[in-house]
Amino acid sequence: MQSSSFPTDSGRSVFYADKAHMETARILDHRSIAEQTYRLRMECPTIADRIVPGQFVMLRIPACNDPLLGRPLALYDTVFDPAGRVVGLDIVYCVIGKMTRLLAGQRSGDPIDVWGPLGNGFPPLVCRHLLLVAGGIGQTPFYSLAKERLGQKVYGNRSRSVPRVEKVTLCYGVRSANFLAGVAEFQDAGIQVEICTEDGSIGHRGLVTESLQAILSESNEDCHIVCCGPEPMLEATARIAATWNVPCDVSLETPMACGIGLCFSCVVKIRQPDGGWDYQRACVHGPVFDATKIVW
Amino acid sequence: MTRADIDLQVQLGRLQLPNPILVASGTFGYAREMEAFVDLKRLGGIIPKTITKEPRKGNPPLRTVETAAGLLNSIGLDNDGMEQFIVHILPYLAELGVPILASIAGRNQTEFVELAERLSHASTTSGQASLAGIELNISCPNVSHGVDFGTDPIQCERLVAACRAASALPIVAKLTPNVTSICDMARAASAGGADAIALINTCLGMAIDWRGRRPRLGNVLGGLSGPAIKPIALRCVWQAAQATKTAIIGIGGIASVDDCMEFFVAGASAVQLGTVNFYNPRATMDVLDALPDALAEAGVLSVADVVGTLQVIPS
Ligand SMILES: Cc1cc2nc3c(=O)[nH]c(=O)nc-3n(C[C@H](O)[C@H](O)[C@H](O)COP(=O)(O)OP(=O)(O)OC[C@H]3O[C@@H](n4cnc5c(N)ncnc54)[C@H](O)[C@@H]3O)c2cc1C
Ligand SMILES: Cc1cc2nc3c(=O)[nH]c(=O)nc-3n(C[C@H](O)[C@H](O)[C@H](O)COP(=O)(O)O)c2cc1C
Ligand code: FES
Repeated sequence: MQSSSFPTDSGRSVFYADKAHMETARILDHRSIAEQTYRLRMECPTIADRIVPGQFVMLRIPACNDPLLGRPLALYDTVFDPAGRVVGLDIVYCVIGKMTRLLAGQRSGDPIDVWGPLGNGFPPLVCRHLLLVAGGIGQTPFYSLAKERLGQKVYGNRSRSVPRVEKVTLCYGVRSANFLAGVAEFQDAGIQVEICTEDGSIGHRGLVTESLQAILSESNEDCHIVCCGPEPMLEATARIAATWNVPCDVSLETPMACGIGLCFSCVVKIRQPDGGWDYQRACVHGPVFDATKIVW
Repeated sequence: MTRADIDLQVQLGRLQLPNPILVASGTFGYAREMEAFVDLKRLGGIIPKTITKEPRKGNPPLRTVETAAGLLNSIGLDNDGMEQFIVHILPYLAELGVPILASIAGRNQTEFVELAERLSHASTTSGQASLAGIELNISCPNVSHGVDFGTDPIQCERLVAACRAASALPIVAKLTPNVTSICDMARAASAGGADAIALINTCLGMAIDWRGRRPRLGNVLGGLSGPAIKPIALRCVWQAAQATKTAIIGIGGIASVDDCMEFFVAGASAVQLGTVNFYNPRATMDVLDALPDALAEAGVLSVADVVGTLQVIPS
């Protein structure tokens, strides 16, 4: 089956959820970690054993017809028991609508439908300084990414090896101080965190892209930018990266109806070698894309 | 009666299927995407995403919006065209050993016929017959070009007859519920020589963001699917079954074995699962596991024995 000649795009592989698994997981822990922001721990060892940074899972409240569809949520971290056996995974989410509002009411012990891992993980990113740029809830895929690239943790296959980086900086922008989630945890992992708030309640008052500019103007040597957040921020970051000639990947939060490549709802305009563009499915071709390939 | 005695095979005109559980066009990608969740070999049939003669980019995002117990979509037949399908996708599907029905949509009758001819040819020249049939998508609400084969019975009959003449493969006509009389359309498809009639495609609808005073879908209008449309689909199947003897494939909001049984009783000889694949990728397997017991509970030995057994007590 693996030999089937499905078309691939611009050198990157197309991820067909070959290793995905679906199960009804038990919620192990669920707590508020910031304004409108929760951390949810699920018991799903099979998925947790396979998932790598940048991939996501679909979550659905069992037997619920409204909301009907699953929702995509990024891997935050995997969880192990004291004996070193993989137990499950954590996601961190922000309450914005129908499903996340209901999810916030679920308690430890409640069942939740989960399927994954889905999407492609982050590409190898060979560099010395990894610059992570997050807006709003966009920091969620970065915790596992940073831990792995700093050599503190392995995700997925135990023999998986990824290029090490020397330094990780997170430029983290939110509306106001009370929306900051997980900053201490990032710092404990040795990640330099530059905080920006729109209202100036903490850190730099202004946009996260201003922090990024400041860092790059000190040194843009051997950097790689990875960005996740609202689209205007992604676009602005991609432009800055191009100006400083630094490679940049973006992780998109495109709305998804299935997350596994069935529906063609999550399409993104991607530049083609012939100079034109084509729609590609963010769930199977992404959600991480080379920023220069996206038609904003 | 035990599960082992139950015969799941179904015959729809010239089309024979190992079981009545199929997957609906546009809701199962090109099947490859589902390998991790579904034992594809167990399916009664696969209808891949509709193909057109030339590649189509499809509609601008947002292409889907969730509504109460339903999903509105305006994908707009995004596909790489017939030749890419034949070269890159058909060989994979042919190897699965499951009946594959290619879904086609043309902008006019000539294109439909060309598609049917080309696919029949490709199907037979690849050594083994890679296609079990052709499904005519004469019902997509997202690509209107003036000619509406799905709403005009005369055009519908002519189109089905022309495709039947152009191909030796069994023909399924897939109908839209967005008509005044589904019976007229079912009779027309039947008169044109369809081996089976599949219904329903999505119900035309829309969603609005009143604060922004904007339609939510990029294409303004879209097709509604999912549990919300099941009663409409059941009604269409039941009415069509009264109007024609041609076999019927029920589609619309099916999510469980009970839903399937309701469609069989209403008059469908087989069913297609659609939107449910998005929110429960294992739905087809769940249904197949439960089907023999449901048929046993109905006291029948085959699917055919339960088809069209609805009893309506005259008032
Ligand atoms: C790969 C991927 C990973 C993600 N990871 C996370 C994560 O780790 N944590 C997290 O909190 N969120 C994440 N998201 C976003 C998350 O999926 C949405 O916030 C969630 O689907 C909202 O569901 P809801 O039912 O609460 O909102 P809905 O009721 O569906 O939507 C409420 C409103 O928000 C709008 N909306 C919905 N989704 C989006 C979106 N993605 N972008 C912009 N507007 C939207 C809707 O149009 C609507 O107006 C991720 C998305 C993707 C694609
Ligand atoms: C996202 C999406 C894409 C679809 N694409 C097609 C298509 O390409 N061709 C087609 O004949 N029907 C298409 N349909 C319609 C389905 O095949 C089916 O008729 C309809 O969704 C009703 O069934 P359901 O409620 O089980 O989904 C599509 C439906 C959805 C939700
Ligand atoms: S979300 Fe369905 S194809 Fe990507």
